[in-house]
Amino acid sequence: MSKVLHAMGDRVLSLLHDLGGLARLLYFMMRGIVHGNFDHVEFWRSMYRVGVKSFGVVAITALMVGGITAIQTAQIIEQFGATSVVGGGTGVATLREIGPILIGLMFAGRVGANNTAELGTMAVTDQIDALRALAINPINYLLGPRFVAIVLMMFCLTAIGDLLAIGAAAGTIYLLINLDPRLFFASFVEMIVFWDFASGMIKAAVFGVAIALVSNYYGINTSGGAVGVGRSVNSAVVASAMSIFVFDYILTAVLP
Amino acid sequence: MIELRNVSKYYGRERVLSNVSLSVPEGTQLGLIGPGGAGKSLIAKILCGLVKPDEGEVFVNGHNVNRLSAVELVEFRKGVGMLFQNYALFDFMTVEENISFPLVNARKFSDEEIRERVDAILARVDLPTIHKNYPRELSGGMKKRVTFARAVVNTPPVIFYDDPTMGLDPVTSSKIFMMLDEFKRTQNTTSICITHDLTGARDICDRWLLLDHGKVVFSGTTEEIEACETTFVKQFWTGTLDV
Repeated sequence: MSKVLHAMGDRVLSLLHDLGGLARLLYFMMRGIVHGNFDHVEFWRSMYRVGVKSFGVVAITALMVGGITAIQTAQIIEQFGATSVVGGGTGVATLREIGPILIGLMFAGRVGANNTAELGTMAVTDQIDALRALAINPINYLLGPRFVAIVLMMFCLTAIGDLLAIGAAAGTIYLLINLDPRLFFASFVEMIVFWDFASGMIKAAVFGVAIALVSNYYGINTSGGAVGVGRSVNSAVVASAMSIFVFDYILTAVLP
Repeated sequence: MIELRNVSKYYGRERVLSNVSLSVPEGTQLGLIGPGGAGKSLIAKILCGLVKPDEGEVFVNGHNVNRLSAVELVEFRKGVGMLFQNYALFDFMTVEENISFPLVNARKFSDEEIRERVDAILARVDLPTIHKNYPRELSGGMKKRVTFARAVVNTPPVIFYDDPTMGLDPVTSSKIFMMLDEFKRTQNTTSICITHDLTGARDICDRWLLLDHGKVVFSGTTEEIEACETTFVKQFWTGTLDV
């Protein structure tokens, strides 16, 4: 019994330690960003790596999301003749929920894991210490620019992904039940309100913050060689995915 | 002048450094030796302000390193060079970018000056044509020389060399020690050289500190360590058990 309590206590302490570390890191990154202590070369390099190189993965995910949503709804639409709501229904589901969540999960798996692995490798090969020894603050030089790049790109790619998903949904519906895309988009325009799009984009930004913060935190705190890097990447992906669902729950309850 | 006063460091309950004191007068080179895991690299990181000791005081060039604020620490580090055991070259930068990094960061050199300094130091380490190569394209010996070049390119008054010849062949090791010696003589630097290669280091170090399990076993000049009768010190110095 005492062993169980001991293990639980360790877990709670470790969780609190991580939460404290995340809050501290966020504070120091924001302080650097606000004061302009920010490496622009690293920022643009991260924007390219995170944004341009992730576009293909995000585009395929978005197209599949749109297509799958359409396949799931097509049968019901045909059964009930609800063609007048198909664009709106698909749009709401995609913009508010499915788009940000699935793109967020893809982002956590691709960009977050990559970021953690890169920072972790730098940590275990003394490159982070070398930066400090050369009088460079790794938070301002590496973490801040990556943080901003990940959040911005998550936001932009979700917007592009939403468009692709809606287009893919319209195309799939046309192929499955021969519904004219003009009818699909007429329903979309009629039913979608500003907050459907805005709430999805707010979620995307918050997910971006979670992915960037978590991947930076686990990366910079890596120790223990190659095994340590693997452990950090695993922790970062799990923590990012969990935080995406937790924040989605909170934001869905809070946002109009 | 580099000085440690009764420095101790704990990792959990384990005491990894125990009341370590050392003193390196200006313009001299201390050879920091001892078996693996004795705490040698940790001392270099403490001196550089990368790790805080739990007890004791650290002085480098008149700075009390433990008491420096974050901003002061950044300024302090601009006057300190460090050669890392595992190279620690930035793998996303070319050799040229790695070496020029401390100069660019110092923000007091023009592009032309930076280029000249990089060319000069690369010529000095016998690697005049690898500016555009990435660290992954270099051999171990070449990486060590590039690491050395990065550590000394801004001619810091204090340098810490952490195992500068680890894993190198005898010829490359000799070259590296010659460079260390030449740099000390021409720039009058104060330095600490952590090494297992006593053959090469004997000629370039003025003083020695032997560490075992985080404790100082010997501290003194080359003549004193040669005359020391303690079995462990003799074994370590001569590299034989039969003493």
